[in-house]
Amino acid sequence: MRFRTSISSPQTFFRIIQAIEKLQKKCIIKFSDAEMRVICNNDANEGGIQVWSVIKVDSIFTNYRIQSNANNEITMLLTAEALLSALKSASTTAETADGDDVVLKLAKKNDQAVLCFEINGTTRLGKSMRVSHDVKIEVMKPTDVASLKEPMCPDPDVHILLPPLQKLRTVVERLKPMSDVLAVSASHSGSLKLSISTDSVKLDTEWRNCTIPKMTREPTDKDGENEPDPGKHFPVLVSTRSFLKFLNSHVVSTTTIACICQRHCMILYVYVGDYADAGGVLTFYIPAIIDGDD
Amino acid sequence: MSDSDNDHAHAQPVLRASVHDISYLTTLLRGVSFANRATITATGSGFTVTVEEARTLLATAYIFADIFDEYAYHSEAAPSQQSQDDGVDNMAFEIPLNTLIECLNIFGTAGAHPSSTTLGGKRWKKQEEDKGSDEEEGEGEGANNKRRGIAQYFGAGPEKSTGMRLTYEGAGFPLTLLIAEDADGPTTACEIVTYDPEPHLDLQFKPDEMILKIILKSSWLRDALSELDPSCDKLTFIGNPPPDGVPPATSGRPSRNAEVSRGTSTSKPMLRIHADGAFGSTEMDYPNDRDVLETFECEQNVCFSYRTSHITRAIRALQNSTKTSLRIDSEGLMSMQFLMPSPSFKSRAGADAFIEFRCLPLEEAL
Repeated sequence: MRFRTSISSPQTFFRIIQAIEKLQKKCIIKFSDAEMRVICNNDANEGGIQVWSVIKVDSIFTNYRIQSNANNEITMLLTAEALLSALKSASTTAETADGDDVVLKLAKKNDQAVLCFEINGTTRLGKSMRVSHDVKIEVMKPTDVASLKEPMCPDPDVHILLPPLQKLRTVVERLKPMSDVLAVSASHSGSLKLSISTDSVKLDTEWRNCTIPKMTREPTDKDGENEPDPGKHFPVLVSTRSFLKFLNSHVVSTTTIACICQRHCMILYVYVGDYADAGGVLTFYIPAIIDGDD
Repeated sequence: MSDSDNDHAHAQPVLRASVHDISYLTTLLRGVSFANRATITATGSGFTVTVEEARTLLATAYIFADIFDEYAYHSEAAPSQQSQDDGVDNMAFEIPLNTLIECLNIFGTAGAHPSSTTLGGKRWKKQEEDKGSDEEEGEGEGANNKRRGIAQYFGAGPEKSTGMRLTYEGAGFPLTLLIAEDADGPTTACEIVTYDPEPHLDLQFKPDEMILKIILKSSWLRDALSELDPSCDKLTFIGNPPPDGVPPATSGRPSRNAEVSRGTSTSKPMLRIHADGAFGSTEMDYPNDRDVLETFECEQNVCFSYRTSHITRAIRALQNSTKTSLRIDSEGLMSMQFLMPSPSFKSRAGADAFIEFRCLPLEEAL
């Protein structure tokens, strides 16, 4: 099992981990020939939010070499916080002028598998320095890896391009002290609503004229039969706290598409880098809260 | 808003108001937001927001109609005749104040009070702009409509303000707010539940029996209160009459009485705030100086104690206030009035709102 690469864009890597760090303590990273997948699938975390992300190797790494008996894939379980602090030091100390400033490799130290970050940087006085971080990992068995399954979802009722996440976050932060449950609804005419309804207050914040992305694979068989009413809103109830955790990904997002599967879940695709040639996608699954009268 | 010309008087909402920048209103509400339940009493000339704590402290924000771009009050009781007597005619209801503030701040734009001096010009334009958009209500003067309509295209400054429209239909109805950041941005509609008003503490300050009156810059009082150790639970205000015949010392003017006056003022400060805490006591003396105490009226020695936690409730109001008037009557009831400067686009007198705190003294067991 060999793994060695240079991190050409530690800043992006840092932001991706930052976006998911708050979700749960441990996360799974799966390196394969062309992709890095970061997975948070712990049911135990608050609200049951899951993240499945796919990042193209080229967008973060250079000189990427991987070898293993399991189809050249290495899957590891590690502490998000430790990884984050290693990446933080990598993104602040390294100059990233050439691609060889931060080297990441798999190593074994005292019988403990580690991800070893070797960072070459310069001090403020111009002297070169070397920083090394070891992040303890646990290599997962291929059988455990095989049991990792992305959640199954029905075809979404509506897709919508979200406004800047920073703006959404401001609003949701105000809503959080008022209600634990947030209703997110969208229509095919490009209206997005965040609503709460409690004993003391009913509140609706609406964004109009959001872009509805053109879907490449439209369910052609049903076409014409039930053309969706453009004004109809498809709501889903989610935990306010989970939604706020998803909004932590505003650090990495440029474009975010939300999909609503009524009474089932909400899926959020956060594109890393430009939408057109995205270096990767973070997919958040937020399960719906099933209300009695829904 | 098509129902404004309905035949029935009570088809009109009891209260309707709109403002193009909510930051001043939010500042005023925050000044009294130490308890969640607040009573709003609306009259034709504005409304008051009253909050009470421990049957001892009563805080009221006086918000005048001037700060709104549009303000309409229709009494529920009096049928559609001209009911302009502001003194009696009012309508009260209770709301969860923190919820109201959170709703107003939904876009995170009601936070800091804008520095009114630098924004003067733009602010004025903004107001014009908002008036322009208000005219769809059919309340604008026809001749000016076009000009203002054009002006709004020039007036869009880079700084953003959040506008708000507030409606209260009457008893039993929720308070509805419509909040928008700008024309193509998001809009928020909210309905905040209202409750029947509970009677409030009746703390009448008796101006005839006033024994201490001080006017000072709010920052002098704010600094003193924020210095206090949290362990202090009792705060004593001590006032002494200024020494006879000695005018307040003014810096740089030597006088024959200078030494005498200094001598007396050190032994008996005109105003002393004394705090007792678990780890000792703090005394803060205000010198007899017009720069510090603009007005000082005191006939006899005054000494009353208050619960510190009650007095420090006023810090948030003090932070945005310029001047404070502090009065104590013969029964020890303290009244603090904080002048809250408005963003300066309207220079009409009396446009500044103020917040008043009234607090009962502790029963002395000396």
